Amino acid sequence: MVKIGIMSFAHIHAYSYAPALKKLQDVEFIGIADEDPKRGGKVAQELAVNYFTDYRALLDQDLDAVVVCSENVRHREMVVAAAERGVHVLCEKPIATTLADAEEMISACQRNGIKLGIAFPCRYGAASKRLKNLLDQGAVGEVLAIMATNHGKMPGGWFVDKQLAGGGAVMDHTVYVVDLLRWMLKQEVTRVYAEMDTLMHPIEVEDCGLLTLEMEKGSFATLDASWSRPKSYPTWGDVTMEIVGTQGILSFDLFAQTLSVYGDVDNQVAWENWGDNLDLEMLRDFAQRIANDQPLWITGEDGMKALEVALAAYESYKLHQPVTLPISRNL
Amino acid sequence: MKEIRIGIIGAGTMGGVHASCYQEIPEVQVAAICEFEPGEGRELAQKTGAKLYSSVDALIEDPAVEVVDICTPTHLHAQHVLQAAAAGKHVICEKPLARNLSEAEKMIETCDKVGVKLFVGHVVRFFPEYTLARRILESGRIGKPAVIRTSRNGSFPRGKQNWFGNRQLSLGPIGDLLIHDFDFLRWCFGEVERVYAKTLHSEQLPDLDYALVTLRFRRGPLAHCEGSWAHAPGTFFVRFEIAASDGLIEYDSRKNIPITLTQRKPIDGTTPRVAIPESPLTESPYTTELRHFILCLTQGTEPLVTAYDALKALEIALAALDSAKTGKPVELKED
Repeated sequence: MVKIGIMSFAHIHAYSYAPALKKLQDVEFIGIADEDPKRGGKVAQELAVNYFTDYRALLDQDLDAVVVCSENVRHREMVVAAAERGVHVLCEKPIATTLADAEEMISACQRNGIKLGIAFPCRYGAASKRLKNLLDQGAVGEVLAIMATNHGKMPGGWFVDKQLAGGGAVMDHTVYVVDLLRWMLKQEVTRVYAEMDTLMHPIEVEDCGLLTLEMEKGSFATLDASWSRPKSYPTWGDVTMEIVGTQGILSFDLFAQTLSVYGDVDNQVAWENWGDNLDLEMLRDFAQRIANDQPLWITGEDGMKALEVALAAYESYKLHQPVTLPISRNL
Repeated sequence: MKEIRIGIIGAGTMGGVHASCYQEIPEVQVAAICEFEPGEGRELAQKTGAKLYSSVDALIEDPAVEVVDICTPTHLHAQHVLQAAAAGKHVICEKPLARNLSEAEKMIETCDKVGVKLFVGHVVRFFPEYTLARRILESGRIGKPAVIRTSRNGSFPRGKQNWFGNRQLSLGPIGDLLIHDFDFLRWCFGEVERVYAKTLHSEQLPDLDYALVTLRFRRGPLAHCEGSWAHAPGTFFVRFEIAASDGLIEYDSRKNIPITLTQRKPIDGTTPRVAIPESPLTESPYTTELRHFILCLTQGTEPLVTAYDALKALEIALAALDSAKTGKPVELKED
């Protein structure tokens, strides 16, 4: 049995992780911490788990690991606190909003012999693994170029508060695809160019971003990280890739396994997903590795590499020039 | 006697398309066709009842020819347009207008000076799926445009002497394919401020190319354009997505299509085809385009797409090519 808790329900993904933790047979869901008593109390009641307003009180319980789902800027504080209590961590993406914070989190975990994982569920699920498998088999030969999207709806709340989120759509949506690219291609991003702006919503952070990435071995990729799905769009967004290789083209649409539902009762068109539950698979893997004391699949270093690309995108847009990695730790 | 007599230079793919379109337009007669390849163009000439020439000079100088329609490879456009203008003939020229801005400027100036019309085949402005999207945008139904994505993907084109393969002659997928999208986007969103582009083109991959281009418009919107000469033979599709403050338009020619034929066995004895999609319209957008040009000619009105528009689309394409080459963004000068 792995004893797990959730620290903060600020990030909406906590609402998906919680039922997944309940479902996992080898996980004992110890409780949740959330500083907002209204939000936390309600969630704890629905889940029938212990509730703590102070995350330190949760860390005082008999715990193996926590999932940190706070606002991006507060990841550091919570991850370091968990590490110091000897509790393993799965931290929501992006790892942090600065490289300095990310480094501090990684070293605090190392110092305390704690495993730090980053929540990149896109790697999980059969479709992503099949894609990687096809690439490894050379199904399209050598990969030359990739056109990727990670669209979403404008999430509102603290996600559009620069102080708490560290940025907008680019901060929110760059890291998933960058992590997929690094994993699939076994290469680092070497150069980043970005255009971004706030064009759709009355918010202070950018709601659209187009990134161009160069990879170590010379291939290139673009990524549309925009919150450009309108409220009426039938689903939350997408993760897609067109992969151009020397021998062919591979098209990937991670969330394509849907039903189109036209409902007059709620006057809504919706694409309801029946594909793998990526969050469940991610948490299952995390819990197993904690139980077996194995290294985590996706680590703090992976999180930091992905964050670096997002930060480079902001720098590139500021300069209107491509930015070469590694970037300065001060960014 | 028909009102307008056309001479088509180049009996390749586009020459063939234009010749068929002209047969749909009662006011037009294809009077002459010029094809340099010996033996080619005969069928087209027979079908249209046109006189077949093997010399451009002869076609242009034929007094029966009033309008010269240039469907030659890109690198020959300038030369043929200038020749036609010098002979006082109106010109319809396939896109891209030219290979560089000085050629394009000279073509426009010359046609102006001698008082002949110059129409450029930016046919996307006549495709109903694109014009409908533009009308919806203009109506305000989806709010203020923000991020636009376009794709124009096909296999590596096979032209005579593989002229598409020579990027100096064809300008690659950026100049040959994406110029359509650049023109459409500029029509909808105004002038481009900055361009950043990547292409695959390299010596090691002579028959493969793929381009991803990011555009920043002066009025704000961002656009991402995909252009492929890397897809499997027989493939061609376009798509676009216009995301705006209060909505989104999406189109994919592979999905929004009325007819797809899949044959278990080839009926005519040719190689089996996977699937042949068709999107028929009562009038082909190419016919709509040419009918419009002819109307502008007879009535003396401005076309929906001007030679200047063609030059500006070329300017975006050249900036993209420049960016792909240097690895740096290219800022476009304000007029």
